[in-house]
Amino acid sequence: MTMSEIADVLKAEVLVKGEGIHKGVRHVMASDLMSDVLLVDEDDMLLLTSLASDQVLRTAQIVGAVGVIVVNGKPLPSSMVNVANDLRMTLATSRLSKYEACVAAHAALNPA
Amino acid sequence: MTLLELIDTCGLEGVLVPDARAEVTCGYTSDLLSDVMAHCPEGAVLITVQNHKNSVAVCTLVGAPAILVVHNRQIPDDMLDVAGREGVALLRSAEDQFAVSCKIGAALAKTAV
Amino acid sequence: MSATPETPGVPDVKPEADPAGNEPLVLLELIQRLKVRDVMTAQLVTVPRSATMLQAQELMRQKKISGVPVEENGRFFGLVSIDDIIRALVAGTIGEVCSRHMTTKLVVLEDDMPLSFALRYFDRYHYGRFPVLNRDQRLVGIICQRDINRALLVELTRELRRLESSSVQNVGQDGTTSIYVLREFPICKYDFENAGKAANQIKQLLQEKKFPPKIIRRIAVAAYELEINLCVHSDGGVLSWQISNGRAEIVARDAGPGIEDVAWACRDGTSTANEWIRSLGFGAGMGLVNVKRVSDEFEITSKKGSGTTVKSVINIA
Repeated sequence: MTMSEIADVLKAEVLVKGEGIHKGVRHVMASDLMSDVLLVDEDDMLLLTSLASDQVLRTAQIVGAVGVIVVNGKPLPSSMVNVANDLRMTLATSRLSKYEACVAAHAALNPA
Repeated sequence: MTLLELIDTCGLEGVLVPDARAEVTCGYTSDLLSDVMAHCPEGAVLITVQNHKNSVAVCTLVGAPAILVVHNRQIPDDMLDVAGREGVALLRSAEDQFAVSCKIGAALAKTAV
Repeated sequence: MSATPETPGVPDVKPEADPAGNEPLVLLELIQRLKVRDVMTAQLVTVPRSATMLQAQELMRQKKISGVPVEENGRFFGLVSIDDIIRALVAGTIGEVCSRHMTTKLVVLEDDMPLSFALRYFDRYHYGRFPVLNRDQRLVGIICQRDINRALLVELTRELRRLESSSVQNVGQDGTTSIYVLREFPICKYDFENAGKAANQIKQLLQEKKFPPKIIRRIAVAAYELEINLCVHSDGGVLSWQISNGRAEIVARDAGPGIEDVAWACRDGTSTANEWIRSLGFGAGMGLVNVKRVSDEFEITSKKGSGTTVKSVINIA
């Protein structure tokens, strides 16, 4: 499933369409600690997070994530949109909680 | 679902379970305590890496009966103490937040009618 | 202080420059490193006390200088400036001896003072020049704004050439060609707007040059962790990286506050970060551990109260 398709499933609003928008998502990480994100060696990862900061995007770029979805319908600072554009990183927001987003993403990635 | 059922179904480690029959109605996944305070629903099991006593305090505040510490993070003694006093259950899993949230989601969905 | 007409393009230098402000680190380092004697005019044109003001004026005109020290055998007595000449002309005393009309209430500089000190004096006293004395109170030179501008221009040009010539050339995938990359990024304390930008740039460059993805990831992670570390835990510093001879080297250098127990700092989950830093997603204490994890070589030297240097080496070849 691609980043774009998962965003649909999570009813997420895509604010920035990055390079990886049509890439397949192979791994999902649900974390608010950037230090934990930096420990992961997975490729083509989708990051679900409650944290709305520029560093989320910068960390995502470092680990080669295909996109970032900020949960809880949090309003994002405009700087995040700018950074996402600079880094060509897909950025979306979802009204779901992180738990709900995990459950929904899992169901979409593993259809019964 | 009761805590005991949840532990069994999802293969969790029950580090401190003051009341095995306590009801868990949903999950809440977050590592930001400010976010937990603002959004965590009552009756939720908090899924987090934050293995310290502040997490317990926040759970008491929002009415979450249990904390599930992920990535096999060690639970320090002072967290155990506070949890014991406040009656908040402490669970543990070697998996990450995403994997364990999905498991709990699946388990709770089965019991929902 | 602004550039004189003869030296356009030399940046304004504020003596009380704040490292976390806009001054490039190179410039700050220069004005701290250079001494007054490195910059002053040592070939001195002087007059003895018995010379007349007219003779002093003639000398200034010939040599195109704006002030003449009055000295005998190295012993310094005073300064005759253009102002003094004009006053003498107006008063009709231009034929009199210098010792009667020279300025004696002077601020002098010492030759081994850092240039940063001298700049403060220029700023405070608004004199055009300062005599320079050595430890033995002998006159050894004179320093004026033009000298400073010239010296800074020369040094900056040299520094710029060094940085410019270190560009990526013919980077091969095997990394064995002797390519050389050198970039330095000043990192400021708590500058969260920019924290991580340098590492992002490093990664982008590596991707453009088509390095192997796993190597890119390791270099990027090391650079990012070290950059955030500088931002969150130091008083500011420099992140530099270079690639040469099949090795990528990332170095983080700061001037404080220093680590008391380096072994403790490198342990899993330890952190001195405060709550505010944690709320921004940092400070979980995994940084240095993670750098070590992705590095082939890892070195950290620090002293409490002074600076810390962390070096990560990742083999490319």
